Amino acid sequence: MQLKRPASPLHLGLMAASCALLSETARAQAAAENAAEAPLQIDASVLYYKENAGRVQTIEPVVSLVKDFGDQRLLVGTLTLDTLSGATPNGAIPARTQQTFASPSSTSLTPKPGYKTTLYAIAPGDLPQDPHFKESRIAGDLDWSQPIGLDNTLSYGGHASTEHDFDSVAAHAGLSHDFNEKNTALSAGVNEEYDRIHAHGGNPVAGSDYALYEKEPSQTKNIAGGLIGVTQVMGRNWLTELNYTFDHSQGYLTDPYRIISLVDATGAVTSYRYENRPDTRTRQSLYWVNKVALGPTVLDLAYRRSKDSWHIGSDTVDAKLRIDLGSGMYLEPHARWYHQSAADFYNLYLIETAAAPSYMSADPRLAAFAATTFGLKFGIATGRNGELSLRLEQYEQRPSDQSSSLTGLQGLDLNPNLKATIVQLSWHLEY
Amino acid sequence: MSAGRAAAGGASPPPHAPEFEVVPREGGIVAVCFVAMASPCELLLEADADAVREVGRLAAQEAWRIEAKFSRYRPESIVSVINHSQGHAVVVDGETAALLDYAAQCYALSQGRFDITSGVLRRSWVFDGSDRLPEPAAVTALLPLIGFEKIRWQSPRITLPAGMEIDFGGIGKEYAVDRVLALVAAHFAGAALVNFGGDLAANRAPGTGPWQVGVERPDTEREARLLLELSRGGLATSGDTHRFLLRDGVRYGHILDPKSGWPVRDTPRSVTVAAASCVEAGILATFAMLQGSGAEAFLEEQGVRFWCLR
Amino acid sequence: MRIQCLARLTILSGLMLAACGCSAMGVKPWQREILARPEMALNAEPIDAAIDDHIYFSKEAASGGRSFGGGGCGCN
Repeated sequence: MQLKRPASPLHLGLMAASCALLSETARAQAAAENAAEAPLQIDASVLYYKENAGRVQTIEPVVSLVKDFGDQRLLVGTLTLDTLSGATPNGAIPARTQQTFASPSSTSLTPKPGYKTTLYAIAPGDLPQDPHFKESRIAGDLDWSQPIGLDNTLSYGGHASTEHDFDSVAAHAGLSHDFNEKNTALSAGVNEEYDRIHAHGGNPVAGSDYALYEKEPSQTKNIAGGLIGVTQVMGRNWLTELNYTFDHSQGYLTDPYRIISLVDATGAVTSYRYENRPDTRTRQSLYWVNKVALGPTVLDLAYRRSKDSWHIGSDTVDAKLRIDLGSGMYLEPHARWYHQSAADFYNLYLIETAAAPSYMSADPRLAAFAATTFGLKFGIATGRNGELSLRLEQYEQRPSDQSSSLTGLQGLDLNPNLKATIVQLSWHLEY
Repeated sequence: MSAGRAAAGGASPPPHAPEFEVVPREGGIVAVCFVAMASPCELLLEADADAVREVGRLAAQEAWRIEAKFSRYRPESIVSVINHSQGHAVVVDGETAALLDYAAQCYALSQGRFDITSGVLRRSWVFDGSDRLPEPAAVTALLPLIGFEKIRWQSPRITLPAGMEIDFGGIGKEYAVDRVLALVAAHFAGAALVNFGGDLAANRAPGTGPWQVGVERPDTEREARLLLELSRGGLATSGDTHRFLLRDGVRYGHILDPKSGWPVRDTPRSVTVAAASCVEAGILATFAMLQGSGAEAFLEEQGVRFWCLR
Repeated sequence: MRIQCLARLTILSGLMLAACGCSAMGVKPWQREILARPEMALNAEPIDAAIDDHIYFSKEAASGGRSFGGGGCGCN
């Protein structure tokens, strides 16, 4: 019986090769069996989203089916239902006096016979928000992907959605090419979206005086975009992808429900205008994502930089760590940091004496702010290749511009922080 | 509880009956016996005889599946398809791709001495114990058809130049042993040992103690019987006990050097290696034989358990 | 169409990656066992990603970047 010596480099090489052969073939067999036996995957999720201070809340069930036709030909169908309710800020700032607004479905700003008027009053110091906000939306997506030859994948699909005041259809197509022993892939794609906006009560004339309550029939917009990307295997445990996306929107880009307050030199509110955004917007973003395996734990780290022709620049860092707990369970903490600069026509309010700008908006979504998300997801394997998971997240938006030096607006929080809680329950099944 | 005999290879495989039999052995062990890959095969399980039919059937079917898929003698096997592809690319599946990748790595690690394209030398060399050596010119004529570097392997496509052949004979049986053991372990909770004609692997020792493996090499010159203890892992034997040529007192073993086309000189009569898997044990035994007179020194350097017979 | 700084940066990094990818980076086919794990796929949690994209699209000015497909909603 010989004494055992430490393995030589050659032996290590043979050990590694032998291990790889046995694990690769086991995996190939399992994959062949799975594809043959489980051609249908179902994902069902319910999202519950609730903002603070009586603002928007939504319940959103999503169902997605993936059917494998063999040879990597996949059909994916997704149905999403969205029901929103709660109060949504209308863009006006709090004032020292009571303010009264009409809900968009009103056909008149003041009660008049023969007209529908739903008014809401906002107490002094409160952020004006429409408490009658209710919306429901249904959306469907269908996507197909298949290999072309041995190194290429073709994908295309369509989307359609409708809600009371908005309809959308979109289509996309993409091609990706693998080379370098499938270590590198180049992708390119295009998409086109066509939307029709028909706000409750009609689309207001952009930039017009709120008191006049002038409305127009429905309008449309369309978005054409493209993507190019490269995916690269960086090592046995590291995969990276870099994407550049570009899109150009044209048409009615204004939010039909938002107004902007006009104040005098002391800060007293004098009137409101409907917002008015440019009718074109060009956006670009650079997105970089990594998946790194650290033993059984997987790190997902992504960075995105975006710019657009409204001069909004943003940075996003998104990190997730999937920690395997054994017995088919995992815990996934998540953190996201986001920062954006304001659109060049964004203002908290406008001062009446200044010359009226051509474009204006007080929509907090176009303001400068920093946002953070912290979350935790727990998942547990069920049955064969199934999974049940629960995700809890907390989102907070902190605008940079929240106050004014005008005497009449001192001490008022003109754009409060937004906080939202996100709860998502998901179930994954395979047949 | 003796198991197995060293591999006894024949020139061509006898047809096997697609059936198996269950034979109780002593000590609470039951054997499922069948024939596959031109060898007597057995699956030893620590179980009752009436509980093993299903596992035994799965094991035998997996062995026959691998044999049918990779045997160069079967016209429907992927190896035959590749060998008759006349220079055209053949798309292979994940399992075949993994074996080709393995062959590529072993070719590199052996500096070209382990070469799955060297099977064409079979046309000149017939190891039947006689003294009929081939004409050197005939052997030299085959050398251009040998060389793993000459084939184009880019997963999942393999292209063999016309006239070249591949053969998984050097790794197929050991691979089948490990695959069948993994399959058995997925369906059977007790201790199991898979033995295909002397290439074997076990997942753990039975309650009564380690598996007792007897490696029998009956030989005209010397009787040698090794008794080994194996708890877990693989064991493979490479030897030329039955496949050799003898002329003018010089013994020519059947392990051929793909670069010269001639047998490796001074190989041991048999090499048995123990390792974590049968595949690993088999490749180490093969590499040792390729070292000829340096087989023992080579295995010492690798730090593995081995038994050499000269 | 004027190619912006971002586009130039991507094309340059992409070409560099693709060029270096030839032999310096990447793995052999038998070294893909970790990359083959389902949680290592770049789109490992597509529903979560779609839900997040929808939330951030309706609350922030920037959107997408990962891929596209999917249409709009009336929320921005």
